[in-house]
Amino acid sequence: MILWRRPWRRWVRIIEYGAIGAALVITLAPVYWMVTMSLKTEIDQFARPPRWFDFQPMLGHYYETFFIRPFGHYVMTSALVALISTALALTLGTLAAYSLARFPLRWRLHRHLAYWILSTRMFPPIVTIIPLFLMLRHLQLLDTMTALILVYTGFNLPFVVWMMRGFFQELPVELEEAALVDGDSRLGMLWRVVRPLVAPGLAATAIFCLITSWNEFLFALILTQTDASITLPVGIAGRVTQYEIKWGAMSAAGVVAMLPMLIFAMLVQRHLVRGLSLGAVKA
Amino acid sequence: MRRSTTHDRGSPERALASCSPDSPPPSLHLSGIRRERWVPLLLLAPALIVLLALTVYPLLYAVRVSFRAADDEAWTLVNYARLFTDRFFAEALWHTFVYAGTAVTVEFFLGLGLAWLLDRHIRGRSLFRALLLIPMMIPPVVVGVIWRLLYNPNFGAINGTLQQWGIDTSALVWTASPRWALLSVILVDIWQWTPFMFLILLAGLQAIPQEPYEAALIDGSSAWHTFRHVTLPLLKPAILIALLLRTMDLLRIFDQIFILTQGGPGFATEVISLYIYKTAFRFFDFGYAVTMSFALLLITNLISLAFIRLIRAEEGLA
Repeated sequence: MILWRRPWRRWVRIIEYGAIGAALVITLAPVYWMVTMSLKTEIDQFARPPRWFDFQPMLGHYYETFFIRPFGHYVMTSALVALISTALALTLGTLAAYSLARFPLRWRLHRHLAYWILSTRMFPPIVTIIPLFLMLRHLQLLDTMTALILVYTGFNLPFVVWMMRGFFQELPVELEEAALVDGDSRLGMLWRVVRPLVAPGLAATAIFCLITSWNEFLFALILTQTDASITLPVGIAGRVTQYEIKWGAMSAAGVVAMLPMLIFAMLVQRHLVRGLSLGAVKA
Repeated sequence: MRRSTTHDRGSPERALASCSPDSPPPSLHLSGIRRERWVPLLLLAPALIVLLALTVYPLLYAVRVSFRAADDEAWTLVNYARLFTDRFFAEALWHTFVYAGTAVTVEFFLGLGLAWLLDRHIRGRSLFRALLLIPMMIPPVVVGVIWRLLYNPNFGAINGTLQQWGIDTSALVWTASPRWALLSVILVDIWQWTPFMFLILLAGLQAIPQEPYEAALIDGSSAWHTFRHVTLPLLKPAILIALLLRTMDLLRIFDQIFILTQGGPGFATEVISLYIYKTAFRFFDFGYAVTMSFALLLITNLISLAFIRLIRAEEGLA
């Protein structure tokens, strides 16, 4: 690859940069278009030819969406559900992961358990959601945030176990042994010695859980009905599938649903590969 | 001071240790501790209970539901028999396979190309990488909104821009045409998920050590020969993982199609998850919906098993 014949080299470079540039435009233009739609008046929105750059930006759609329509409320619900379920999954999952990483069980049970836990993550969600719906209906938990929190905790748990198991396995055992020799209790040692060491991994895992919960649609669509528990994606979907659609308001809601995720993604850049491949590819 | 308080509070394993008669001396290392026999299980139990309650129990419950007809309490195989006669089920499955097969293929080649382009010293590489990853991070519902804005035949940006360039777009109605709707939703998937392939394959490329390339250089291999016989074999594990994860996700596709077309026009973009959803929550035939979801589970399991076997074989070689 280093031995490109000289005269070709410049052209190859130009084509390469051209390809990257084209990929960037195709990637970003659709997102940019939605952002402009959220800032345009109705006249600019429907103008022909489309106004990519020359329009008068205004924030009216945002005001309407989040203060007049109930989307501000949906954002709160989404955030609460995501935060609580992430905290729960992180607590339960980290303890389980530590156990699987540090204590070899009889009959290699720790490995079988780890793979079984991973396999629950591989279930298509439509398979579990119907029986869950019937069960939650029986428990009269439909249309509550509790139901969503429960379901999302179960959904994130395998991911936390699998990720944190990987992070624990990378820690040298000696530090923990030293703490135990010093007379620390197992849980005290976990909190004071291990927690600071896996903090970056823990933070990345938490952010992945937040992203999954915030973006989740199918479970929320089925388990929620009224403003008591409707999350942001369900709120958007409910309006977008109607006949007459307020595109400005929808775009504003879309931008607000998207922005925190982009910021989160930047925060976990370093762990992105690992998180998205469930720890299979370590970069 | 602080340490002694946690001591006194006493964790469960400490209590167990003090009552066991043959408790070994306190200076222990982590492997093979008798005193802490219950700790691993205590740590595991809460997570396992939650998982059992939220995945295994529902699954067993679903098995029961699948053996009941719509409004009958008796046990029956009606739902399973219906799988083989339901034309719509077969068609939804077919759409799912077309969708998954096309999308995963195109995403793989585009992602590989992009990864190859960015796996070298290019100015601003990390910025390019970050920007190229954006679509993947957007909530699927929002991706649906974005593409409805683009595809709309009346005010959509795509047709508008094409007209501006003097192209006749009267036949281009994207998701509104039964013929092109499936292709249109596949394009959206390609837009959103090519970055995933790109990311995993780029990580795979960057993990390849320098030595084999130097060897190939000394042997005087051509660029293509090097790629074919050095890069590809070393990249194979990453390729398999990326294909596996993407295929699993594609087979369960729901969100974007729900927003873009709701399975229409007609039945043109009805994929299996959507058909199951409608059967359960529009026609309230939970028994048949659950039965179809088992068929989907079986299919995804078979495919993932095949992949995992390939991955294991690859690891065996390494």
